[in-house]
Amino acid sequence: MAKFLEYQGKEWLAKAGIPVPKGRSASSPEEAQQAAEWIGKSVAVKGQVQAGGRGKAGIVKLVETPSEASAAAAEILVKTVKGLPVRQVLIEEKLAIKKEYYCSFVINNARDARCPMLMFSSEGGMDIESVPEELIFKMNIDPIFGLQIYDAIDFCVRAGIPNKELSKFASFLTKLSQVYKKYDCQTLEINPFVMTEDGSLICADCKMEIDNSSVGRHPEFGIKIARDLPGEVTELDMIGWSIEETDARGTGFLMNMGYDEVSPGYIGYHPIGGGSAMMGLDALNQVGLKPANYADTSGNPVGSKIYRVAKSVLSQPNIDGYLLGGFMMANQEQWHHANAIVKVLWEELPKKPGLPCVLLLCGNREDESMEILRKGLAELMTSDGIGKRIEIYGKEHVTDTKFIGQRLLALAKEYRAEKDAQGK
Amino acid sequence: MLEIKEKSITIGIDTNKCDTCETKACAAACKKYARGLLQIVDGKPSVEHLSAEEVLRLGTECLACEIACKFEGNKALTINIPIAGLDVYLTKRGLQ
Ligand code: SF4
Repeated sequence: MAKFLEYQGKEWLAKAGIPVPKGRSASSPEEAQQAAEWIGKSVAVKGQVQAGGRGKAGIVKLVETPSEASAAAAEILVKTVKGLPVRQVLIEEKLAIKKEYYCSFVINNARDARCPMLMFSSEGGMDIESVPEELIFKMNIDPIFGLQIYDAIDFCVRAGIPNKELSKFASFLTKLSQVYKKYDCQTLEINPFVMTEDGSLICADCKMEIDNSSVGRHPEFGIKIARDLPGEVTELDMIGWSIEETDARGTGFLMNMGYDEVSPGYIGYHPIGGGSAMMGLDALNQVGLKPANYADTSGNPVGSKIYRVAKSVLSQPNIDGYLLGGFMMANQEQWHHANAIVKVLWEELPKKPGLPCVLLLCGNREDESMEILRKGLAELMTSDGIGKRIEIYGKEHVTDTKFIGQRLLALAKEYRAEKDAQGK
Repeated sequence: MLEIKEKSITIGIDTNKCDTCETKACAAACKKYARGLLQIVDGKPSVEHLSAEEVLRLGTECLACEIACKFEGNKALTINIPIAGLDVYLTKRGLQ
């Protein structure tokens, strides 16, 4: 899912006519001060990261003056929450809150539903997990006709909204459901939305996540990569995306895994398929090695696509090894992997002589693939050659994660010691 | 020099080296691993029997011809596979 930060989600809500507090984002204390001056009253300074529990992490502060907003922003902008640096703050007017509510629109994947679902609670402002089940009201929404006002009124009655407020709440929820549909959201969570002292309903927070597949329909969002990423887009993520973006011939997925490019113990990781990827991670975890990236070349991709992924994985600086993990009996023709890997290793090993490369291929056309690998890499694999730490395995080790992990670890230790001795 | 453009790669063949090639392994590999685009005409690989559109449509970018030529032929064939952003990535890290 493509995820928006709070301030971005609120901008889209505002454009769709949904009430949000007056505010704007800032990337520096000076900008924060200017924003607070523009608002002209007490403000909330809220750190912007894709993580819950921001209040507990100390990145939400209420202040009275623009100079206090500047100071609060300075404090928040140097913080990191769950490994994610805070790069922006949202400065917005402090609301006079009468009561807080929760609502979210999500996809109900249940077999008998498969449609959007509205969840609502009058216990807003806290983790929804900590709200008692009987206080959370749910309703499936017809994917074609959307949430109708009469259904919303029924729902609000059920949720205990007083009669005189029914039409206000029903209209608010109906408008939000239209936004959910208009923007092809996967999740739209407003926690809390608040009733102010003067009786208005306003979205005090916003978590908006867009269905990846719909990003092409929304150039207005300017989303670079339609994918679930753990943090900010990295250069490796951009390279990976460019491999997939215009080439639908099988999967050629590549993304960063919080790899710092400096610390030892990271492995260029190239599994083939999702199940294989899990087994490969198991192999690495068992011996304390870490994946520098996540890749996937499955669905019978063309050789050039496999080459691009493998080349990018092997190009990562300061890795201690490369794992091609074909831990499953693949139906795709493995010889495309074999040809691509031979080409890549001939190009990349001169730059990283002695790099451990454990190559596991298994499945359709395995014998021919093994022959390509063995013949193609033989000259590199001599005892003093740049490919002296290449090891090739086939079906005899297809589920043997422990063995593969241990081989990689032993080779990586050797390689690291060699590099240390050379002062690299 | 023969240049063949597929969807995302360019195959370059120094056909001067092909006259003395005994295996013509590129064409055999193309037949085995792909759709037999490469044919040997007058001792050299050729795609002249196909239009440029047919090459684009039929080419599977399998890379088999390059590997076959490198290990069984006269090392006449190289494939260029551009990767958007990789040069910048490496240059920034002093790895180019
Ligand atoms: S295998 Fe290489 S050298 Fe031989 S014909 Fe083909 S391209 Fe020419």
